[in-house]
Amino acid sequence: MKHSSKPSPPKLFSHLYIEKGILDHPQTRMIRAKFSDSQVIVIEHYKEVFNRSAQSFAAQSSAKKLILARKEGKFLHEGSQYSDGFDIGQFFYASSVMGCLYDCDYCYLQGLYPSANTVLFVNLEDAFDQLVPYLGEETLVATSYDTDTMAIESLTHQTKSWLDFAAEHKNLYLEIRTKSANIKALKNNTPNDRVTLAWTLSPQEIIDRYEHATPSLEKRLSAVREAIALGWKVRLCIDPVIYTENFDSLYSKLIERIFDSIDSDAIEHLTLGSFRMSQSHLRALKKLRRSDVAFFPYTVKNEMATYPETIESYILETLLAKATRYLPQERIRTWQRQS
Amino acid sequence: MIYLITALDAEAKPLCDHYRLKRDTSLPYTLYRNDEMTLLVGGIGKANTMMALSALLGWRIPEAGDILINIGICGAPSEYTIGEALLIHQIFEGERRYYPDVLYPHTLREAALRSIDSPQSMECTHPVDMESSAIFQAASRFFKLHQMAFLKIVSDHFTPESVTKEGAIDFVRSHVNTLDELIRNLQSVQVDPSLFTADERREINALKEHFTKSQGDALEDALSYCRLKNPKNSLKLDHVIPHSKRERSQLLETLIQALTA
Repeated sequence: MKHSSKPSPPKLFSHLYIEKGILDHPQTRMIRAKFSDSQVIVIEHYKEVFNRSAQSFAAQSSAKKLILARKEGKFLHEGSQYSDGFDIGQFFYASSVMGCLYDCDYCYLQGLYPSANTVLFVNLEDAFDQLVPYLGEETLVATSYDTDTMAIESLTHQTKSWLDFAAEHKNLYLEIRTKSANIKALKNNTPNDRVTLAWTLSPQEIIDRYEHATPSLEKRLSAVREAIALGWKVRLCIDPVIYTENFDSLYSKLIERIFDSIDSDAIEHLTLGSFRMSQSHLRALKKLRRSDVAFFPYTVKNEMATYPETIESYILETLLAKATRYLPQERIRTWQRQS
Repeated sequence: MIYLITALDAEAKPLCDHYRLKRDTSLPYTLYRNDEMTLLVGGIGKANTMMALSALLGWRIPEAGDILINIGICGAPSEYTIGEALLIHQIFEGERRYYPDVLYPHTLREAALRSIDSPQSMECTHPVDMESSAIFQAASRFFKLHQMAFLKIVSDHFTPESVTKEGAIDFVRSHVNTLDELIRNLQSVQVDPSLFTADERREINALKEHFTKSQGDALEDALSYCRLKNPKNSLKLDHVIPHSKRERSQLLETLIQALTA
């Protein structure tokens, strides 16, 4: 039974697993209408699908399913040491979606979740209720931590909901990190100084190799330009930097391309950071055997895997030298391991 | 290897004919084989099925890339046509639920199925059989969820007494092409996680024996890095191994540097 021709891959979200309790939720109905050809499978609880044993993250990555659920318990979690909290007193990330449409080889989600499927929690209003008690003081919420919310905005409208909520709460700062080229949500809201849109940018060769199913560099740059033109605050992230044999040329050209295309005065910050990951997530990534990124001889210190210090310093020095031609140093933030 | 499992001899017969399978008496269960396929007749009911399948899979442990398909007849509500083939995406057993992964496009009607303990004459909201949940439970110890599929052919609308042996043979025979297609689809989504050929694996293991466990792990990572980064490049694995521990450590460092450069 050997066959040479491969069937085409299934369409995105060919199966919708829906918790019985939210079958009549307005967002469920909207998504069902949008995916009217998809199989609907009624489930009791999202974990019976998302947390099954014997799933293959690698196999599921090219045939992702959507699980619709109601989140019980905490939507907000403390920001992690791997991310920048911008010195705002309180820093949380919101977990309203689990799993990502994009399929980046270096993403910690592969180590964090047993499934490549996406869980969308439809009760975002409960996240807002949980956040309100903290808003007596300045609070930063990262909305795209366990996913790329902008990438599935047309499905969830969560970015719009967050923007509406932030407009009403003066102590709330949002960081919306994305690789998406879809900025429709931004067009229907008034720009807010407390909201930072952070685009992750990589050389096209790195996108082709490691950032599967993501928009091209040019599409991302076009989205950045549009967001700036609309009046939104934008941060650019060259993070994570993947060290390759032609690192110097790839990333130097990237910085040139960025600032050829975008007015540097319009950028709030540029963030530079080399690849880093917790040791436990890296172990899980290795088991998948999908990408060379998992197998580089990293240095592990305090459970965190990073490039060896000489490489890490070289990456940051090289990129800083290049970036400071376009931006003053104080507008460049770098992530470096605390020794 | 393609593992097929049926409950009945009658369901197995058309498959033996179609795939030219020969009887194999290695196990105390009814087994048919050819070079690329093993067909098990597990018997009726969950206990029989689970024992037979566990014995088979413990004897011939599946590898990445192998697949398992349960094919057989089922009773179903009248909304399902007699003779229709169903691909099962959810299996109920009491309060428990099981979900095989359907990661490929196909033209079959999908359905949930309830696994019951005795032939069903009462109307039920889902198609029913007597083995799927047990097959799922036993097989998921050996297979990933995307390596399994459950293909059920509607034989009756809860009138099990109407199903004859000849009828069962005909139902399965009429869907051997459906099964061919399902095998193709299932095989197309298999992921082979092995990075090295069998020969390379032998050489790598021999090389690693000269180093400590952690050094061997580091070498394995570097080799994996090199293979994933340059899939077409051959690996140089025949090195002269020095006697001294210090020189071996130096060799390892040089190897890792070269492989990850």
